[in-house]
Amino acid sequence: METKNKDILIIGAGLAGIEASLLCARAGRKVYLLEKEPYFGGSAIKSEEVFPLMECATCMLAPKQSDVLENKNIELLTLSELQEVQGEAGNFTARIKKQARYVSLENCIGCGACFEPCPVEIDNNFEEGLSKRKAIYIACAGALPNAPAIDMNYCLRKKGEDCQACKQSCMFDAILYDDKDREITVNVGAIIVATGFKLGDASQYTNYGYKKFKNVLSAFEFERLRASNGPTTGIIQTKDGSPPDSIALIHCVGRKEKGYCSQVCCLYLTKFAHYAFDKIPGVKVYQFYKELSIPGKENEHFYKEIQKKGINSIRAENIEIIEADSGLQINYQNGNNKNGSIAVDMVVLAPPIEPHPETRNIARILNIELDQFGFLKTQPFNPVESNRAGIYIAGCAREPNFMQEAVVQAQDAAGQALNITED
Amino acid sequence: MTKVGLFLCECGPNIAEAVDLDKVTEVIKGDKKVALIERHRLLCSEDGKKFLAESIKKNGFERIVIAACSPKQHENTFMEVMTRAGLNPYLFQMVNIREQCAWMTPDKELATQKAIRLIRAAINRINYHTPLKQKEIECSPDVLIIGAGITGIETALRTAQKNRNIYIVEKNELGGVLNRLQSLYPGMQSARELLQKKIKEIKSHPEIKVFQKSKIKEILGFFGNFIARIETEDKKEVKLNIGSIILTIGGETFVPAELPNFGYKKFENVFTADEFENSVINKENLPQTIAIVHCVGREKFGYCSKICCANSMKLARLIKEKSKNTKVFQFYKELCLPGKEYDQFYKETKEQGVEFIRYKNIEIGDHKIDYISEDEIKQSLSVDMIILSTGLVPGKDTQYFANLLNIPLDDYGFFKEEHIKLAPVSTITEGISIAGGCQGPQDLNDAVIQAGASAGRTLSSLIPGRRLQVEAKTCEIADSICVGCGVCVRVCTYGALTIDESKHISVVNEVLCRGCGNCAAACPSGAARHRHFTNQEIYQEERAMLK
Amino acid sequence: MQTEPTIIGFLCNWCSYAAADLAGNSKLEVPGNLTTIRVMCSSRVDPVFILNAYFQGADGVLVAGCHPGDCHYQTGNYYARRRLALLIKILQTFDIEPKRLRLSWISASEGQRFSEITQEFAKFIKEAGPNPLKKKPFFE
Repeated sequence: METKNKDILIIGAGLAGIEASLLCARAGRKVYLLEKEPYFGGSAIKSEEVFPLMECATCMLAPKQSDVLENKNIELLTLSELQEVQGEAGNFTARIKKQARYVSLENCIGCGACFEPCPVEIDNNFEEGLSKRKAIYIACAGALPNAPAIDMNYCLRKKGEDCQACKQSCMFDAILYDDKDREITVNVGAIIVATGFKLGDASQYTNYGYKKFKNVLSAFEFERLRASNGPTTGIIQTKDGSPPDSIALIHCVGRKEKGYCSQVCCLYLTKFAHYAFDKIPGVKVYQFYKELSIPGKENEHFYKEIQKKGINSIRAENIEIIEADSGLQINYQNGNNKNGSIAVDMVVLAPPIEPHPETRNIARILNIELDQFGFLKTQPFNPVESNRAGIYIAGCAREPNFMQEAVVQAQDAAGQALNITED
Repeated sequence: MTKVGLFLCECGPNIAEAVDLDKVTEVIKGDKKVALIERHRLLCSEDGKKFLAESIKKNGFERIVIAACSPKQHENTFMEVMTRAGLNPYLFQMVNIREQCAWMTPDKELATQKAIRLIRAAINRINYHTPLKQKEIECSPDVLIIGAGITGIETALRTAQKNRNIYIVEKNELGGVLNRLQSLYPGMQSARELLQKKIKEIKSHPEIKVFQKSKIKEILGFFGNFIARIETEDKKEVKLNIGSIILTIGGETFVPAELPNFGYKKFENVFTADEFENSVINKENLPQTIAIVHCVGREKFGYCSKICCANSMKLARLIKEKSKNTKVFQFYKELCLPGKEYDQFYKETKEQGVEFIRYKNIEIGDHKIDYISEDEIKQSLSVDMIILSTGLVPGKDTQYFANLLNIPLDDYGFFKEEHIKLAPVSTITEGISIAGGCQGPQDLNDAVIQAGASAGRTLSSLIPGRRLQVEAKTCEIADSICVGCGVCVRVCTYGALTIDESKHISVVNEVLCRGCGNCAAACPSGAARHRHFTNQEIYQEERAMLK
Repeated sequence: MQTEPTIIGFLCNWCSYAAADLAGNSKLEVPGNLTTIRVMCSSRVDPVFILNAYFQGADGVLVAGCHPGDCHYQTGNYYARRRLALLIKILQTFDIEPKRLRLSWISASEGQRFSEITQEFAKFIKEAGPNPLKKKPFFE
């Protein structure tokens, strides 16, 4: 019998990918952990606190991230994307494109001296455009690995200019203008896909006025406003810089159109209410919801505790947000079909959790099935197994999930990957 | 006197420009505890590491202090260099003069003074360091699974491998709650068929040994080396040596006897969902109208059980399948249909003519339901039969096993996970995992994933033929000082400390100790010692800082 | 001679030490007279360490750990909180004002908060003047 390759490829270095890597590495396996961003940690590191216990997200995740970086069995490949996979369970060959970082991870010590001199300034995507970054940048303070990347889409050198600002400011020879995209081929026995989610674009549901009115925010924008390491160091404010007197939280944005419940929104909006009460004394919080979904132990207790602080809950359909003299106005039809209207300073939307845009491409490369929503399809009674042996799926790549579900799916997937690669 | 080498890293301009390293050198040079001060531009670079290793060999340093960046950046890097250079890596102290000095103190004079204090503290403490060893212990890769419902069965199948024995112990028949179900939502597959297939698989699996109608009498030991005493069906005693334990004892459905407004056992034709699916649906012709009431018991136990909404819809469909003309009403408060599959399931159920009525308050009478709707209107509906969709609660044996294994329960009586988000199937005791309904209310999918997760954790940590690695910076107890008062035992979260009754002293289990040091702070006699953070080491730091 | 007050800070490895690193990383100012000692958990901070600091002449002591509920070791910070509450009573018998001991919860993302708390504490200690034990040595 042919011996199986014991190494494991994990695509996506968010919470699920990290957990799966650590488990496989602990078993003594070599792990290739692929991440297409220059930093890792996924969506989870954007949060300030995590419901229901309101624990600090960084405190939870940073130790796991250090474990990954220090683990000799794990090779973290940032700025990397899967190109092609051949073979079968026990013997896959994966071709990976590793984009140039233009910064040497070996030489860079993360001092940040290169940011200031860079003349290019653009919106920071990680901060949902709430702050600016340079062409050479890290996503946010504390992002790991602790080294910047040059975004060649914006670097002046790409436009043919001989700008050397970052190189001249670097004392460690860490800037590599002639860095090239590389192709890496790895042989592995099993593959775990943990590519996560993307928050849906709320502007396609036009009645909410997203992108039209400046104080209508999408969930991650609000999350980053509250983040201690975010653009306002945690101060919740409207676009004119003042704290909002009233905030409306809108549930189920796009649920009807998408055809599924994203599961996490009821609770993270409750967390947002907590943020607001915590940071803005006397703030009024409204929530507009359709059905309340707070499954699992601990969550209802959390929900009720925050309710006690005075959330005004309105069951509502047909929500329309317009701009009024005093700010934003929410017109709605309540649960008893009566019309109502409320004025607020800020609106936070909970758009659907959608599969990451890369999911479709990954499914094609791996030759695995998608479901009707574009998530990766798994098997009945084995919810982390794809339709191909040796390929497993964990986290929001398969369905909207709570963090704890992403973790157990990762542990499950890791177990199956370990098992299938045993001789 | 031991030869201590001090290395100052300039970190390019990062430290060198913010801290006057010449002055640091000059001040420290007078300290007899330091044999030599070395300086490098960037110690973490390949060149720097080479320099460090060579300097250790050339100068015969026995202990090393490195003043550079945060230990979170490069402590491990330097520990590796030391190991390669033949030194015990714990005879090393790293001083954070970058993040917590150079980068946060703009006044160079103040930063320099601070760096001197920090370095002195490390020099003072380094002579008190003891070489620590990464220990390894023998362990068994075998696994004991307690409870053979679908979670336990699945866990057994996922954990079973060559060279690893799996023991699964069940006090009743195999199969648990699935024995009582007709079908599974949302796919409406037969529960029985799935169960029979799985039971056949574990019974025929060469590495799985099934103990039915058996009891766990006692479990002793710790991760890697547990011993379990089992009373089998024919009252024989079996002793098992196992490395880890997975609890899959399941939960139960709530019985609403104590909630008078639901009329259970008071009026005929009021059944729980469990009773209905297990027997009622088989026996009789179904009546003309059936109401299914959601959220029964939710207020009492204080959480949403997640499964009841979809399960109630499943019951509606089973009713419709059997008796097409029966009118089904769903009385609900909030529809909890998380995940990608259930909005569709709900839509299809509605299309079959099932009526959904939202209630705020409900009172069940004789063949009728009085309820208050959300707009505060009192209404009443006559029905022939009422099904109470009750939530999930912890099983009766949960407390027994919590006591037996000394693991905590949560506020609701389920086993408490190590961390609600990051470690949902672990307990605070290494080597004991939990999965399925005993961890919290969940559906079959969740239970199967948790089964896989507890299997995954076991496969990753206990490997046939490999020994267990033990953390070096654990606590230890000085036998001659300990008076056996047990204070340390009470403060240890991980059950790593126990009283040795024969010697009347406390003993540390290094496999379970995670090295927080709480016991060392709690110990009134100074017998508990936190390796690498001993009282002496910290006093020495303080003394140098305050000199 | 009037010298700068000295402050000793005990930081738990997982939250507060990381917050201090982040403060440094973000180039946020932290008082130069604060010298920190890393411990794995705030529950490692034996009250005697703090007494020792005052006896050796520290003007203030900061103990910082994870927020309640966030402890890396489940409940260590609660132990720290209880021990320090008791210690404060003992400090008073030595004429050390309770406010010279500060217990703060600072999470790993709160670099800014670390900077603010330490500056505020340093300012307070400066105003409070030297540790009274320095004026009337304890064992003389």
